[in-house]
Amino acid sequence: MPTAAHADARRAELSGLIARVARGDRKALGLVYDRTSAKLFGVCLRITRDREAAEDVLQQVYLKVWNRAGRFDPEHASPITWLCAIARNASIDWMRKHGGPMPSDAAEDEPGAAGLGAAMEEMAAGEERAQIFDCLDKLPPNHQQAIRLAFFDGLSHSELASTMRSPLGTTKSWIRRGLLQLRGCLQGD
Amino acid sequence: MAAEYALGVLEGEERAEAQRLLLASPAFAAMVAKWQGRLDPLGEAFAEAPPPDVWSAIEARLDGEVQPHSVSTLRLWQGIAGLSGALAAVLAAVMVLGPVTLRDAADTAAPAAPAPVPAVIAQLSGADGTLLAARIGPDAQYLDIRAVALPDSGLTPELWVIPGDGVPRSLGLIARDGTTQVTPPEALRPLLVDGALLAVSLETPEGAPHTAPSSTPIALGKIPAI
Repeated sequence: MPTAAHADARRAELSGLIARVARGDRKALGLVYDRTSAKLFGVCLRITRDREAAEDVLQQVYLKVWNRAGRFDPEHASPITWLCAIARNASIDWMRKHGGPMPSDAAEDEPGAAGLGAAMEEMAAGEERAQIFDCLDKLPPNHQQAIRLAFFDGLSHSELASTMRSPLGTTKSWIRRGLLQLRGCLQGD
Repeated sequence: MAAEYALGVLEGEERAEAQRLLLASPAFAAMVAKWQGRLDPLGEAFAEAPPPDVWSAIEARLDGEVQPHSVSTLRLWQGIAGLSGALAAVLAAVMVLGPVTLRDAADTAAPAAPAPVPAVIAQLSGADGTLLAARIGPDAQYLDIRAVALPDSGLTPELWVIPGDGVPRSLGLIARDGTTQVTPPEALRPLLVDGALLAVSLETPEGAPHTAPSSTPIALGKIPAI
């Protein structure tokens, strides 16, 4: 399939650029930025829900890429997955440090469902979905929504409880049981 | 807890505890890594957003990062230090680590008057005979750390203090062999008290001191009561 071949080529190119970044090549980091900043800014903005914060976190993300490029292993992860994980973790770090009690309300104001929809569309469009998407689809609705809100919106346990308007113990158990089922599903192939 | 940490839902005490475990327990770190491997592919589904043009700001900040050539200088100095005894080792470490040690150099500029608090010796040990010895000076104004035996690695050891809250704070990079004198920033000195843990992890030198360790520690030791 030509699109799959194209995706493979892009992935190989990005992996090659990250290898150059690991050797201290700034130009390569600039090229990684050109190819991935829209995606990674999407991650930062979605989780921090604040443009200024997202811009700041985005800068940190590329500095982390600069410092950690030597640890990227193309055998174990796709480059975009690796980059998104850095962006997501940096954004969650920012939220846990600066978010305070505010985000639970903000999460309700934010069109979370619309954002979720956008992510879903992109998932459906992807020609080569990772198995975890199918596993996530199989979870009971509450478990699935809790995990989606945690992963894509970066919500903490207490923010999940307030966003899902359920007791903390309940949403925690949705997360825990959902994660265990995901693991079972991923192992079951 | 490893799964919840990888998902990112932990907060407050639980998150701090997970970060402490990540450093203290290789088994926990491996579990977190496994969960990240499972969950991270979901990241492909994030929608793009028109990015700001922050490339020039990023490029400017790269100048503040340690460049690879500093590493070879460090190794060269370590080689010399190893041959010329403790004094040279300390001197070399101070000279060489100067540019790569702690960002808050301003904090350490004014040495306070020495107080009559005796030095404390701590031993840091790990698997396969990994061993370091630390000597914490009066009021933690300095800390000498001697690498006795470290595993072979292309990475650079970084020293951390883990106080009661469980969150590791970097004390900067240390030499792979010989003695390194670390000048803890003033803000971290009160944390270097008995009961706190010292840990060493292997890190890439760029960007040190890091805000959090990237891997499990290779050696751990508790600061003993005087």
